[in-house]
Amino acid sequence: MSASKQVEDAVFFTALNLTDLGQRKLFLDQACAGNPGLRAAVEDLLAAQGDAEHFIAKGRAALHLPTEAFASGMATGADEPTRLDEEIGTRVGRYKLLQRIGEGGCGVVYMAEQEEPVHRRVALKEIKLGMDTKSVIARFDAERQALALMDHPNIARVLDAGATEAGRPYFVMELVRGVRITEYCDQNHLDTRQRLELFIQACHAIQHAHHKGVVHRDIKPSNILVTMHDGVPVPKVIDFGIAKAIEGKLTEHTLFTAYEQLVGTPAYMSPEQAEMSGLDVDTRSDIYSLGVLLYELLTGRTPFDGKELMKSGLDQMRRTLREKEPQRPSNILTTLHGTELKATAEHRHAEAPKLISLLKGDLDWIVMKALEKDRARRYETANGLAMDVERYLLNEPVVARPPSRLYRFQKLVRRNKLVFASGAAVSLALVIGLGVSTVLFLKEKEAWREQARLREEAQRSQQRENELRLQAEAKEKINQAAIYVSQERFDEADQLLETIKTLPPKPSFDGVNAYRSVGEWLALQGRWREAANRFLPLMQIDRLDEWRVVTLDYQACGAVLAECGDRERYAQFCQTAVINYGATTNGDMAGRILKTCLLMPPGKDLMAQLRLMAEVADQYFAPIPEKDFPEWAVIHLSLWDYRQSNYGQAEAWGQRLAGRGKGTALEATARVIMAMSCYKSGQAEEARGELAQGRALIEGKFKAGLDHGNGADGFWFDWIFARLLLREADGLLGA
Amino acid sequence: MSEITLVLQAIGRGESKASEDLLPLVYDALRRLAGARMAHEAAGQTLQPTALVHEAWLQLVSAGERSWQNRAHFFGAAADAMRRILIDKARRKSRLKRGAGQARLDIDDLELAQTTPDDNVLLINEALEKLEREDPEQARVVVLKFFGGLNNQEVAENMGLSLRTVERQWACAKGRLFRWVRAQH
Repeated sequence: MSASKQVEDAVFFTALNLTDLGQRKLFLDQACAGNPGLRAAVEDLLAAQGDAEHFIAKGRAALHLPTEAFASGMATGADEPTRLDEEIGTRVGRYKLLQRIGEGGCGVVYMAEQEEPVHRRVALKEIKLGMDTKSVIARFDAERQALALMDHPNIARVLDAGATEAGRPYFVMELVRGVRITEYCDQNHLDTRQRLELFIQACHAIQHAHHKGVVHRDIKPSNILVTMHDGVPVPKVIDFGIAKAIEGKLTEHTLFTAYEQLVGTPAYMSPEQAEMSGLDVDTRSDIYSLGVLLYELLTGRTPFDGKELMKSGLDQMRRTLREKEPQRPSNILTTLHGTELKATAEHRHAEAPKLISLLKGDLDWIVMKALEKDRARRYETANGLAMDVERYLLNEPVVARPPSRLYRFQKLVRRNKLVFASGAAVSLALVIGLGVSTVLFLKEKEAWREQARLREEAQRSQQRENELRLQAEAKEKINQAAIYVSQERFDEADQLLETIKTLPPKPSFDGVNAYRSVGEWLALQGRWREAANRFLPLMQIDRLDEWRVVTLDYQACGAVLAECGDRERYAQFCQTAVINYGATTNGDMAGRILKTCLLMPPGKDLMAQLRLMAEVADQYFAPIPEKDFPEWAVIHLSLWDYRQSNYGQAEAWGQRLAGRGKGTALEATARVIMAMSCYKSGQAEEARGELAQGRALIEGKFKAGLDHGNGADGFWFDWIFARLLLREADGLLGA
Repeated sequence: MSEITLVLQAIGRGESKASEDLLPLVYDALRRLAGARMAHEAAGQTLQPTALVHEAWLQLVSAGERSWQNRAHFFGAAADAMRRILIDKARRKSRLKRGAGQARLDIDDLELAQTTPDDNVLLINEALEKLEREDPEQARVVVLKFFGGLNNQEVAENMGLSLRTVERQWACAKGRLFRWVRAQH
């Protein structure tokens, strides 16, 4: 693989993850400085991103296997008969399919026959988006109430919804025999006035629906059919409520399927729909689409060419819809070539120059108002739009007005902030006509600072992004490790945990347990160093467990560290423990932590720090009567006394446990401490005796094999503890 | 113990020819398994390739042998086997649509916007063959993800890469494959 490809890939991927386009541009400026070839290649990849995803997804969708593919070794013909041929004549619910009428962006439409409760012909639209059928139907049911309330001569009723046996949702609608409104107008050479009259009716239909709380969301010529009633053309809007039912929460999956819809009719999508950012699409989105329809009825084309939009990829498409100002209807006609213009005019029963002058002025502005990018500036209601058109037809003044110069200028500046700020004379020239060049010149300095700030922001957010990404990755890994642990695949869990460098702030319970379990598993194999590497992070992330569990973890960690023999790390660990728990008032807890920090002979500083804990523990345990005295408390008290050189006292504690003969880790530890205390106070004979007994217990345990253990006889780390002290005692007594 | 397990053990011991033996075994196993499934299900049903591979893994490799290394080898071979099976199927279907007798997809006949999903698969495969010569690691990610159905984490484990690297390779691969296909028109 060539080095240049490596670089291209790296730059592309980083740029891809910078979703803010301003940051992305800055990054590319820096990364591709002096290398226009690289820039071009990366931008090409970025532009193709949306289409590439779509293309690969389409391929993946094809990767299902009909079982026949395995049966026959050779090709037979139809290993997957086309569903359609199968379906004709079959039933879908209570509908019998008769004929295929057409194919839309998201499904096939059939003519079907209904027998019950009423005999009639209907249109059945099967949706094949590969989505969750249940939720689509559920959503449609929610819509159905609203849809049932709609009763308007220009709206085709939606009658029913269900799911086929194969699990595809379908919708049943009033069958409308007609042609698309645009086709109808062209075929019959309707003039501008007649087209507007049809358009007004369509607006009334949409208004009725909005009044009932239903937004169409997918207005386009193929959804507005014209039928004849007694020789009079009647437009009918179809497919109400379907787009909403299909559209749902935006996941990555639905983004692809939404793209399918986009691929069908991007020209009719409102800017906020194209954003697909989850912004609530409201009635004004329909107004936009009506605006596009009006545009097409008047000029024969849409404000943005559908094919052009699709060619440039998803991001570019969004940007165009969001930012590019379309040409006014009268203007666009002037850009047409002779024959095209002639044909367009003919369809509208007019001469070319007359048509252009007809559109100029009020009609232009009505259309542009409906097509405003900012939805607050469009017509409030479909009726509002219809009324303005009516006013035009009656030669009354219309509401729509060309936008003021100031407004247009503001939009220009907002869109081209960076361009203006760079002080390019060219862009200044554009505004000289508006006489505000001085204002811009002053703004230049501010803009430079702005750029520098953006660069910094980009770097910081990149770092933040990396940090967050690492944390998220870590969290994933920990969860996976937890699963391995539950399956007793400790080796795999360990390997996975090894790869985690950045700890997530709040891992799950199971995640924390993964560290603990793997640590124990390693410790039981005698892999002390590795075990320590699992226990130490555990200290950091274990905030979820109850203090009793936490202290057990501390004991395990301390034991493992001491066993490693790594004095420095053990010392650090003790420091951490003291910092975290030194001020506890829980005597029980204090005792356990204390014990853990006394495994190796402590230095003076540590002793001083532990003193407070020792006092707390002492106060807690001292008043407890002998018969109720908890056994395990003996260890920390006795060990503390030993370290303090209070040998007599240490011995006394030990006496409490001696001779109980239960063979627990506690007993073994107590004996060892006693041995050391006795020795230090000159009773060598006794010391040796105690030590022998302690050793017998400990060596016996390790010979039998160390296991998880329990609270009564001692956990595995209790025995490690005992053995550590045994070694110290051996050193002391010179066995 | 199944034959596949034996081969996996051989791979584990470092025997050089062992990995070559794995692919044909896995290939056969997948076909047999699907055939057995078919006997129980109605015609016209479809199988998810990934489900099939997982089932084969559980059936043919005993619990004690399911180490992550073996898993990596098995799923790697399964992805290759799946690729072969799926490409064959796509070729057959495509041939049907274009008329019998054409051995290979004729790209010049295609309008990219009108390709069927099966044509897409074939185009992707052809682009993939080219990518294999240019960047074998990136191509391998594609095979594992696209034909083997492994998720990013599994690919990372299989190939011994970091998760981020896998994400990068996959993102770049998709763009490049598409670009190549588009450039042929």
